[in-house]
Amino acid sequence: MTDATHQTDTTAEEARLKYYSASQWTLIWWRFRRHRAAMMAASVLGLMFLAGIFAEFVAPYGPVTRDTNYIEGAPQVPRFCDAGGCSVFPFVNGTKTERDPVTLRAISVPDPEVRHYLHVFVKGEPVKLLGLIPTDRHLVGLNPDVDQKIHFWGTDDLGRDVFSRTIYATRTSLSIGVIGVMISFVLALIIGGIAGYFAGVIDNIIQRVTEVIRVVPIIPLYMGLAAAMPKEWSTTQVYFAMTLILGLFGWPTLARRIRSQLLSIRNEDYVIAARLAGARPGRIIAQHMLPSFTSFIIVDLVISFPYMILSETALSFVGLGLRPPSVSWGVLLQQAQSVRAIEQTPWLFIPAIFVVVAVLAFTVIGDGLRDAADPYSEAH
Amino acid sequence: MLRFTLERLVGMVITMLLVSVMVFLIMELPPGDYADRYAFRKYSGTGVNVTEADIEAIRRDLGLDKPMLLRYFDWIGGIVLRGDFGQAFAFETSVAKVIGDKVWLTAGILFSTLLLTYIVSIPIGIFAAVRRGSAVDYGLTVFSYLGLALPNFLLALVMLYFANRWFGADIGGLFSDQYRDASWSVGKVWDLIKHLWLPAVVLAWSAVAIQIQTVRATMSDELNKLSVTAARARGVPELRLLIKYPTRLAINPVVSTIGFDVNRIFSELPIVAVVLGLTELGELLLRAYLDLDMNVAGAILLMLTFTIVFMNFVSDLLLAWLDPRIKLGA
Amino acid sequence: MPKMLTVENLSISFRTSEGVITPVHDVTFGVEAGRTLGLVGESGSGKSISTKALMQLLPGNASLSGETRMTYTDKAGKEIALGRLKTGSKELRRIRGGEIGMIFQEPMASFSPVYTIGNQMMEAIMLHRGLKKRAAREYAIEMLNKVGISNASARVDQYPHELSGGMRQRAMIALTLSAGPALLIADEPTTALDVTIQAQVLDLMRDLQRDLGMGMIFITHDLGVIAQIADDVAVMYLGTIVERGPARDVIRNPQHPYTQGLLDAIPSVEHLHDRLKPVPGDIPSPTARPTGCPFHTRCAQAIAGTCDVTAPTEVSTIPGRAVRCWLHSDKDRNAA
Repeated sequence: MTDATHQTDTTAEEARLKYYSASQWTLIWWRFRRHRAAMMAASVLGLMFLAGIFAEFVAPYGPVTRDTNYIEGAPQVPRFCDAGGCSVFPFVNGTKTERDPVTLRAISVPDPEVRHYLHVFVKGEPVKLLGLIPTDRHLVGLNPDVDQKIHFWGTDDLGRDVFSRTIYATRTSLSIGVIGVMISFVLALIIGGIAGYFAGVIDNIIQRVTEVIRVVPIIPLYMGLAAAMPKEWSTTQVYFAMTLILGLFGWPTLARRIRSQLLSIRNEDYVIAARLAGARPGRIIAQHMLPSFTSFIIVDLVISFPYMILSETALSFVGLGLRPPSVSWGVLLQQAQSVRAIEQTPWLFIPAIFVVVAVLAFTVIGDGLRDAADPYSEAH
Repeated sequence: MLRFTLERLVGMVITMLLVSVMVFLIMELPPGDYADRYAFRKYSGTGVNVTEADIEAIRRDLGLDKPMLLRYFDWIGGIVLRGDFGQAFAFETSVAKVIGDKVWLTAGILFSTLLLTYIVSIPIGIFAAVRRGSAVDYGLTVFSYLGLALPNFLLALVMLYFANRWFGADIGGLFSDQYRDASWSVGKVWDLIKHLWLPAVVLAWSAVAIQIQTVRATMSDELNKLSVTAARARGVPELRLLIKYPTRLAINPVVSTIGFDVNRIFSELPIVAVVLGLTELGELLLRAYLDLDMNVAGAILLMLTFTIVFMNFVSDLLLAWLDPRIKLGA
Repeated sequence: MPKMLTVENLSISFRTSEGVITPVHDVTFGVEAGRTLGLVGESGSGKSISTKALMQLLPGNASLSGETRMTYTDKAGKEIALGRLKTGSKELRRIRGGEIGMIFQEPMASFSPVYTIGNQMMEAIMLHRGLKKRAAREYAIEMLNKVGISNASARVDQYPHELSGGMRQRAMIALTLSAGPALLIADEPTTALDVTIQAQVLDLMRDLQRDLGMGMIFITHDLGVIAQIADDVAVMYLGTIVERGPARDVIRNPQHPYTQGLLDAIPSVEHLHDRLKPVPGDIPSPTARPTGCPFHTRCAQAIAGTCDVTAPTEVSTIPGRAVRCWLHSDKDRNAA
């Protein structure tokens, strides 16, 4: 054996030592990090969450701020060049109002004579960051002295900025997903835990009830619950009711997983030992049993996000979920229900891209985590 | 087999009973009761002054003053014994009348969607498993992700848009204008079939994506089984071998999830119906919810769920028939 | 007796994500009609894949080397080059089952669970004997009778899970033989069975082989079984044949240290009070094949500087036998 191969052998040996002494979570992280698609999905999702959290700062305008000079206006894409030459900094052309020669309606057309440059950290509407910190700075925008607004993704029929609304909607939709998943997680833990730990008759009854909830088609069920929300409820009340509804019926799949895992390990020696030592059921479940399959629970949590998001979007889309003036992806898409919308104001579909990307990202991350959490996914 | 069937039958009835309780609770959920809403609907804007006593009278007439448990038995008893789902107030007629032949339209949509799902997903899933790691296999994985991520109403809109561009304007809905209110005829049925493919494609989309992955996974497992190698070593021709041995077993998980597929289709139905302008139970259910016409909503929800429970039962029986090992265990 | 099968220089490689591995290396053996060749070795020594190569049953990422020659003489006396037959060709399908039959280790897994024993037997009978359904069924029952399955006319309609392990393997033997092969490959057919049933199945196979005058390749990791059933033996280690010869001679007077080790590892009645002596060490991974003689890492008699550097060639010190070991090829070593 030559020296060179010997050298690589010792480094390989070190790597192996590090590998064998790493904790379960470190190992999962190492494997996950190698999953390129999942890492990409995680970054995209991270950006979405950031944008949602700091919506007041990222969005140039408020979700209901109207720009009556630019109704159903097309997206304004920042550019570096126009008929008058090029510039180092991005700008948009100004707009002017003209009469449509055919319909005689007032329409906005770009005015190549005027350039408005983009600025960062511009002064704008005063907002409260995270609902707490007052500020009037926004990430990007036009100079506040200009009496024109910038609409990256156009405006809707009331002249509201689609970009800003989508950012605010991202916050609503993602937060409903998070809270909904949390609620169903807690319920699944309790229900699945009881069924799996006590087994027998209790388990049988719980299984029956779970079965009933699983067979009712979920969106019609959600609809029934959402329809019962009093019409006079405030947007905040509706928001919390929605998260509750989504959470209350999202638990069966996860509860079944927890139950079957618990059933399979409830007669393991270490569990019996804990029982003999006089530990209470709650403690045995939490301290001794759950840790052995935490990684699977996390995977299940991640892949249940898409269902929450899609359900919220679907319910709001048909008018049974969140209601204007709330903004969520589903509420925004309500304005894009017809083929006419696709033809005339396709930019109203931009929120749909967010839905697709978010759902895809959660699914890909879930797959990546599942592979990473599976100790047999690779031979090292 | 008889014992197995009976056991499953009893299980099905119990589940249906529990489902009916749940549906009834949902019907009772909205604030106020049927009498309030009935009075409000009937007299709002007419200038008639409705007093609490009037509402009380309506309540008594309809038996709504009885305790909840009794009302439940009235309701379910009416359905089981007389096929009577109660009154629909939207049209001041019986629920049965409102629903009418929409049941058959819904069944048509359901079965064409199921048919499409299996015709497409089973062969493609098998192909992907046989050609594992190929470009086709990879493309299908991407498609499956999209099948999950694309909200069905969005897909419906996009399909509608392209259908309009390519096949003309009259593609949404279930009937052309000339047949919409006509009585049933051969022409009308043919017209229905011409319109059914669009909702079927939209509704089958995600089911196909999921089933392809299921078939591919089981098929990959089955292809590696010793029994397949053994049959090959006996000189069984490849295509026949593929169909007789691994495919036969790869179909089992598909059969066992028929109920889930029906569930998914019904779940998506109301929303797809809105976009595509379908006049069937899903759309009616949505309208009933929006109008708080809970008798209609409850009846439809019950029908949809019972169909799912029944299809679960059917899939259990089919599976027992397909897999001789199950009968032994039961 | 004429050789019905000759295998020369068989090497099999697999393309894997960790590179190309070659689990079978330059293997040469032959089977005479009416005789049994025992292939012995630990798991991973390449016994099974060698025989699968004969039937072209290897997965898609496997390939045979250019020097490989496998010649089979069929029932009509025609010579056929195995391993080179076109996939899906009639010729290959005739060889599979009709000329060469195969029995596997797991009788449960070799049957499809969703068809009756009879269904799977009749399929083979109709394919290779050209019988119609009714006649095929009769023949299947006859075969089940022949392998000692009682109440065969009822068993024929049963599913594999309704039979006991020993019965299943008997049924598998009946199924394989019902296609009328001239050469039977039995891949550890008794390993998964209870010891008492093992002996019955071994007896059955030996009797059937004699009655039908078949050639047989019997794969096992147990030299004790070889003593009972095989006429000739080839001992494999890490994809090479290290020793071959008549079974009795090899067992009585093993020449290769590995063969000696395998024999020492068999528990015997005469030495009940002695400790068992397993072959020391582990079989190396196929990705890390040792240089030189593949066995040198576990060999007590390894010659430093020779065995770990150059692979020995096969030499014949006793007529009719061959061994691949430096201890028996002094001349070659000096030459090397």
